[in-house]
Amino acid sequence: MEAQQTSFFVRGPSPLARLTFFAALSLVLMAVDARLHYLAEVRQGFATLLHPLEILAGSPLRLYRHIEQHFASLDALTQETHLLREQNMRLSIDLQRLPTLQAENEHLRRLLDARRPLAQPSRLAEIMHVSRDPFVQRIIVGTGSQQGVAAGQAVVDGMGVIGQVTRAYPFSSEVTLITDRELAVPVQVERNGLRAIAFGHGRDNTLDLPYLPVNVDIREGDKLVTSGIDGTYPNGLAVATVARIERNIDSPFAHIVCTPIAGTDKHGQVLILATSPATAIPQEEMHLTAKKKETRHHAARQH
Amino acid sequence: MRPVSISQIYLSLFAGLSLYLLPWAGFGLMLRPDFVLLVLLYWLIRAPHFCNIGTAWLMGMLVDLAGGDLFGQHALAYVVAAYVAVIYQRRATLFNRWQQAGYVFLLLLVAQLVLLVLKLFGGSEVPGWNYLLPSASGILLWQLVIYSKIKVTGEREA
Repeated sequence: MEAQQTSFFVRGPSPLARLTFFAALSLVLMAVDARLHYLAEVRQGFATLLHPLEILAGSPLRLYRHIEQHFASLDALTQETHLLREQNMRLSIDLQRLPTLQAENEHLRRLLDARRPLAQPSRLAEIMHVSRDPFVQRIIVGTGSQQGVAAGQAVVDGMGVIGQVTRAYPFSSEVTLITDRELAVPVQVERNGLRAIAFGHGRDNTLDLPYLPVNVDIREGDKLVTSGIDGTYPNGLAVATVARIERNIDSPFAHIVCTPIAGTDKHGQVLILATSPATAIPQEEMHLTAKKKETRHHAARQH
Repeated sequence: MRPVSISQIYLSLFAGLSLYLLPWAGFGLMLRPDFVLLVLLYWLIRAPHFCNIGTAWLMGMLVDLAGGDLFGQHALAYVVAAYVAVIYQRRATLFNRWQQAGYVFLLLLVAQLVLLVLKLFGGSEVPGWNYLLPSASGILLWQLVIYSKIKVTGEREA
């Protein structure tokens, strides 16, 4: 009890002073992190330090999966083999036609003088866990910048686009899903080639297609594929199917809701496409060129 | 009153952090109580001369780092909750179990509301009522403290 009583008098700064100090510190950090992006390196460093703890925390689940795999029943395995064999058969039939189609495609492209599409090297990554923040739609995969993953690369699974790498740590990377509010995917309706941009909805695992007029030619069940315009996603990857279209008389735009085709909850692994991420023009340079143009304009007018 | 060592405090805080780092998903993620904050509150009430607002801030920063969130949002939430915990700390040791449960529930709510306000400023959508589920599960977990040998007053039995 004595230790408690002496500590009653030795308390340092008052709670209010501490609150003010630390709250101010947090607010400053938040502002710096959100606006100035100075802290990316600091975050990377600390994330690497925390990595062992994360592995430790993930070990019970890995152990459970391991045991589960070990004791998987013969029946389930036979069933899976059967399914995979069937799928393999179907795919190999498609594959047989691929060389012919590829040759034909190349020939036609040469005739049209079009650019040849680039081959997409890809790498397999394991999903470590989904984001701990219920507000964002992100997953963490166990492959990082040490293995050549960079921010901006597209992430797909066997069925379609999942999202985009937004942060690459040394041993893991953060993938923002296409259903996140902050991600937009340039898409194309497969049926008629209509281009649009799909935005994540953020909450209900859906995507929105805003800014399309009421009379737009989209039907329920239409498949949306990537258009490849942005240079991040190669074209022709499945993104979503149109689930619902609401045409409201009050609004000039149609309200179109789509459901994503690929699913992160269905697999343990994803593919990261190794595209070189498009580099934005640095802000300063843009300012400079804009200024130059302006001065040139002025000069031309004066002359 | 059992003596409390600093290593005990930090070990339990890191245990809380590793519970937070478990790969939660789906319904579990929705229900997951804020382990770090619960451990923090326990030590804030039991040993305020070792675990103070600064400790809360440090743990908040670690949570932000681990979650890949904006720097400082959990830190701010924990600091505000810790402040409320500290100014009523003397009274909290005298509360009976219902008062204590209500008090801790209030503190968990304060932290969640601070986080919510910060998220809304960041442009998130208003979440549903299930946003507050972690506070409810947190208070269920706190019953461990109330009904077991690890009382906040540090006494062995009561």
